[in-house]
Amino acid sequence: MSPLIELRNIVKTYIVGGEALNALNDVSLSIEAGEYLAIMGTSGSGKSTLMNIIGCLDKPSSGEYILNRRAVQDCSEDELARLRNETIGFVFQQFNLLPRMTALRNVMLPQTYGGVSKEKRQARAEEVLALVGLKDRMLHKPTQLSGGQQQRVSIARALSNHPKILLADEPTGNLDSNMAKEIMALFDKLVAEGMTVILVTHDAETANHAQRIIWLKDGKITSITRKDEPKTLQ
Amino acid sequence: MSFFELIEIAWQGILENRMRSILTVLGIIIGIAAVIILLAIGQGAAYETQKQIQMLGSNLIYVRPGAVSSASVSLGHSSAATLTYDDVQALREVCPAVGDAAAMYDSALQVQNGANNTSTRVSATEPGYCEIRNFHPAKGRFFNHSEMDSYARVCVLGDTVATDLFGDDADPIGKSVLIRGELFQVIGVMEHKGVNQWVDNDDVVFVPLSTGYNCLFGTNASTGKAVKSAVITAREEDQVNQAQFQITNVLRLRHKIVSPLPDDFTIRTQADLMQTAQEVTQVFTVLLGATAGISLLVGGIGIMNIMLVSVSERTREIGIRKAIGAKYSDILSQFVIEAIVLSLTGGVLGIILGLLGADLIGKLMHWTTQVTPLSVLLSFLVSIVIGLFFGIYPARRAAKLDPIVALRSE
Repeated sequence: MSPLIELRNIVKTYIVGGEALNALNDVSLSIEAGEYLAIMGTSGSGKSTLMNIIGCLDKPSSGEYILNRRAVQDCSEDELARLRNETIGFVFQQFNLLPRMTALRNVMLPQTYGGVSKEKRQARAEEVLALVGLKDRMLHKPTQLSGGQQQRVSIARALSNHPKILLADEPTGNLDSNMAKEIMALFDKLVAEGMTVILVTHDAETANHAQRIIWLKDGKITSITRKDEPKTLQ
Repeated sequence: MSFFELIEIAWQGILENRMRSILTVLGIIIGIAAVIILLAIGQGAAYETQKQIQMLGSNLIYVRPGAVSSASVSLGHSSAATLTYDDVQALREVCPAVGDAAAMYDSALQVQNGANNTSTRVSATEPGYCEIRNFHPAKGRFFNHSEMDSYARVCVLGDTVATDLFGDDADPIGKSVLIRGELFQVIGVMEHKGVNQWVDNDDVVFVPLSTGYNCLFGTNASTGKAVKSAVITAREEDQVNQAQFQITNVLRLRHKIVSPLPDDFTIRTQADLMQTAQEVTQVFTVLLGATAGISLLVGGIGIMNIMLVSVSERTREIGIRKAIGAKYSDILSQFVIEAIVLSLTGGVLGIILGLLGADLIGKLMHWTTQVTPLSVLLSFLVSIVIGLFFGIYPARRAAKLDPIVALRSE
């Protein structure tokens, strides 16, 4: 069986002030379905760029990215949008909920763009909100919710259109330690139920929840740590 | 994403910035209301003109001799190149579609009553004139056939002339006036007809045509009793074209004009007059409409401005929507529809304001204003088009945003 994510010799080059800068330099990586993975690195290491490419927000300058048997580098903008909608659920550090909509409507949004009927969408949104334990607060607006609750709404939104992968960018970065624990527990539970989760973080404690940790530095993978192997932190 | 949901999203966007939305919509409201009101004034003027022309009688036909300089000499007609009294009598007798005809000879002459004296238009005509023009004496009477036959020196004064010569309240009936030094007895004063198309219909004195030839104008050596014009009625209103055709043929025969030579007379029907008047008022209406259109354009630019602000304020929202799967077309239609909802709201309110405004102006200024369904429909469509036109550029900017950049904003 082919892996869910297959990155082959990915290079991402930005032109900054007339000079070419390789944010990612020959990155190859494959991720199986159901894996719990963390991508770590300092700022400027290229981890955000890698996340954008895995999340189909950006295309590599060269190299191949096969996501769920599709060659992402050949996709058009609209095909990328469709891939994001159907395959990936984003969880952001800033939560990124639409402030004027209720939690329920925020969670319904991906399926709105996916063309699911209103009744089905609402039923699914209530289902995932129940899963993250916020069914009783679904008619609240984001500003009426705590940070942890907002992040749970955002996880519910990420899950709503049955994605293959949850892609979380510093999901606990804006939360206190108790809330962070709650959120990480939720990810652990989702992985246990079979979801593929990719965490992008610089926080070792968060990363330690993953089964495999990828270290990035200067656009290259410097080490890969597996939970069942001895840690080789730097 | 369903159309209804797009509208719902757009409406939310509008409500989020209530004050700003209201001010934006105001531009469109004023523009659309201005279009409706100014077109209503233009239409009202057109209607008024049409009504005045119709009041003259819609089955009227005017015949005038052709211009002396161009036609007759070069065409080699030795004799009757101009219209004569006999021509008019023939038209009345020969043409089945002609109801009545009155020959006219008018000239600007001096009219005197003692020390009061005025230069006015003296119209020599036939007794049938009153009925043909639907223009009757208010006091006294018009001259009759026996006075016509007996070259009676009687005259009927127009309202303006009566006032000029005799003052406001005096009764001129039975009094005498001097027309070009000849003594005439006043037997009637015409009703007030007013001014139309820069001609004072009341600044006139009527005398019998026979008397006119006899002692005021004389007759033409070659053509005998030449007339300056003839007023003719068609027997029925729908026979105007037939009558015109018959008049043309009879006159060409009498004047011995053969094809391909042109007529040596011109025929004007009320329909022609109406058309000319309509052309004038149409220019008027278009000018008014264009003026209003400019304010509508300014309103549209206001919408574009606000949409651009809205797009840059909501960059992050656009990024989020794109990240979770909104396509180019989803974002594009969200913003275009928001612009259309704005301009359409303005359009509908503008139409209502325009209807009320047109009515109010009509009452205050005593103008006839007429709102046509077409102008309402047009305004409605124009407001949609404005939203589309001025919304598409900001919407394209929104839809083209890079989701990564958009997510990073703020």
